[in-house]
Amino acid sequence: MSKRVLLHVGTPKTGTSYLQDVLFRNQETLKDAGILYPADRFDAHFLAALDLLRLPWGGLELDAHGLWDRTATEVREWTGTAIISHEILATASRTQVVKALSSLGHPDVELHVVLSVRDLVRQIPAEWQENVKHRRVFSFHEFLEAIQDPDRKGPIASWFWGVQEIPYILDRWAADLPPERVHVVTVPAPGGPTDLLWERFCEAFGLSDLELDRDSERTNPSLGSPETALLRRINLKANHEVLPVRYRPLVRELLAHQTLSRRSDSPRLTLPPEVHPWAQELAGGWIDEIKARGYHVIGDLDDLVGPPPTQPYVDPDQPAESDVADAAVDAIRALLRENGRLLGVEEELNAQLEETRQALERSYLRPSYLARERIVRKLDSNRLGQWLLGLYRFGRGRSSRSA
Amino acid sequence: MTDRRAWGWVRHLQQGGTTSWADWTGTAEPEGAVVPGAQQLELVRRLNLAGAPGPRLVARVLAMGAPGRGQPDLELVGAARESRFGPRPVDPVTVPDHELLRVAVGILAEDVVARGLPAPPKEGRPRPWRRHYELHGDPELVAPIRADLVARGRPPGGGDPVHVILATDLGRMLAHVWTARAFGSGIPAWRGWLRTLDRHGSLPAPIDPLVTARTRTGDARPDRIHVVLDQEALPHLLGVRRLPDPLPEPAAEAPDLARRISGVAGLLVPDDQRKALMRRTVRPLLAGEPGSPLSVPEEHLPWLRDHAARITDGLSRAGYAVHGDPAVLVPVREPGVEAPAPRSTLALAIRIMLAGRTGADTTDEEA
Repeated sequence: MSKRVLLHVGTPKTGTSYLQDVLFRNQETLKDAGILYPADRFDAHFLAALDLLRLPWGGLELDAHGLWDRTATEVREWTGTAIISHEILATASRTQVVKALSSLGHPDVELHVVLSVRDLVRQIPAEWQENVKHRRVFSFHEFLEAIQDPDRKGPIASWFWGVQEIPYILDRWAADLPPERVHVVTVPAPGGPTDLLWERFCEAFGLSDLELDRDSERTNPSLGSPETALLRRINLKANHEVLPVRYRPLVRELLAHQTLSRRSDSPRLTLPPEVHPWAQELAGGWIDEIKARGYHVIGDLDDLVGPPPTQPYVDPDQPAESDVADAAVDAIRALLRENGRLLGVEEELNAQLEETRQALERSYLRPSYLARERIVRKLDSNRLGQWLLGLYRFGRGRSSRSA
Repeated sequence: MTDRRAWGWVRHLQQGGTTSWADWTGTAEPEGAVVPGAQQLELVRRLNLAGAPGPRLVARVLAMGAPGRGQPDLELVGAARESRFGPRPVDPVTVPDHELLRVAVGILAEDVVARGLPAPPKEGRPRPWRRHYELHGDPELVAPIRADLVARGRPPGGGDPVHVILATDLGRMLAHVWTARAFGSGIPAWRGWLRTLDRHGSLPAPIDPLVTARTRTGDARPDRIHVVLDQEALPHLLGVRRLPDPLPEPAAEAPDLARRISGVAGLLVPDDQRKALMRRTVRPLLAGEPGSPLSVPEEHLPWLRDHAARITDGLSRAGYAVHGDPAVLVPVREPGVEAPAPRSTLALAIRIMLAGRTGADTTDEEA
């Protein structure tokens, strides 16, 4: 049984991809320090979370069956500290939380819940952008309208608040934990020291004294406003033609992450100024609640207030067409480059195939083989011949079995 | 007090009660860490209203976290402590049917996986004199014929096969493709799927005989390709005297429930097993359910008529043998269900659960 379990349950867009990759790449170092990060691939905890939540995810869930139980078993069998981390766990229902905690050994284990959090001013546009990067086609305006609906009935609002409303997430995940075992890690305000968030994670997960290889490239980079608008247009036009299994490498990875995210000069995707007061009032309520509950805060709760409105605001639903065109040219260039690379691979494979075919032909050039081949071809071209061949194959099959 | 009232209602439902939450006044001591969600509780009440679910089934429903995306477990209005956070507590009778369906489908998917596959269908010893053929086209028309031929020792394949492409009314074929995928790897909801196809003006490849002839027949000569619009021509083309009747059109709710089960089953078993379970376990389970079949709404018929005209024109120019009148392709307005209603699909799910047809709940007598 693990002595301690650190369960990191969210929230998205708070540096989680980077943290998970560093933990994954340093499993041996961590193990030497008595810390288990049970993962055989970098997204193992994502898949385990899909399994726990029974959540379809564009086909990725097909690799997920049984993974939560397997991960929980590894945690229970470990005798030191164990870490589980994935941000979509934030959306677990109360019954799923009961199942998850019990599978990890709760209440017989020292369970800590970690929640990394960022201000709504940045989270709201980031969540919409994540939706667009997952093939969704609704506009930013529609998204804002959905999440501001007090009834939260639609799928957009259900998901958003499920993974973003800090007190509600902790109501589900930490209802019966003492507050000192609930750790709220705040993402620093923009412009803070680059390593500050990592230092806060180190404090939360007890990593400060470890020498970890942090050379990770696995981040979830953000796009600008025209780039997100472009991606949404691509979704509108191409979704029905691009299978999810192809969308992920071609659109999400190649176009969004490797190409469009590098365009850092374009206007950033931000919250409309008129939505700021609402978001900041909400954040104020959350800050008061977190203080009242007495959770262990790593960082500064004032980070949750968020930056002031940007001026001028650039609406991604009505972007400057020249900016979108620039982004589209970069996208085409990336696709051409990738196509060129793939054509090269195709040529190479064709050459290998041709070599193999020639080698095969050489081995088939024996006169007896050629004669038999001619006979079979002749027989196969008419019905009587086909019948005779069938009879021969039938007889041969029977002889083979008795031999 | 409010929590005790909630637990009192839980107990009432566990004992087969049907009183709604709004009318409930009794109390009981807590039985668990959290009161089950309004969705789970209301589903148990609906099960009690429709029949007599066993205690094991009730316990499983109450513990089932609803799979997939949607509302989180909702709290009971009047029972939950006042909170400024999370979704508002609800009166369970107001929970939408599709949310109750999520819970029901979670149970059914587990049951289907637990039930496993029936014995594999028999395959006759291949007859050496069989006609070499490949069957393509409408998946619902093709499947029973191919299965019958395989059972009779006439599997598809062989040298220089005749390619038979089965087709009929495009609207019916569209419903068939959706049905076949619902009983396979799953598919989006009928209306949304239709809208997407219509918006992009495309037809699924299996029901476009021209695309099938171009892409699925290898280097076959045109005279080896037959487009069959009149099934009377089939026995002769396949070298047999008789063929089975087409599958009966399922009630629209059956594939709608199947596609939902498929989505969850994909999380429980590998994909090939999921497909086999959907085809060989779920399909027979839902066969024979009463109800009208799917139909294509009027608004989508012009798009299909355009395709029918294009295919008819293409067939006459391509030189393939066409058996039957190409006018058959033109969709006609058929009576049926234009969009399976979650209420009807939920009713079907409840019937299946109560009948214990999925097998996993036949052990209720132990409780």
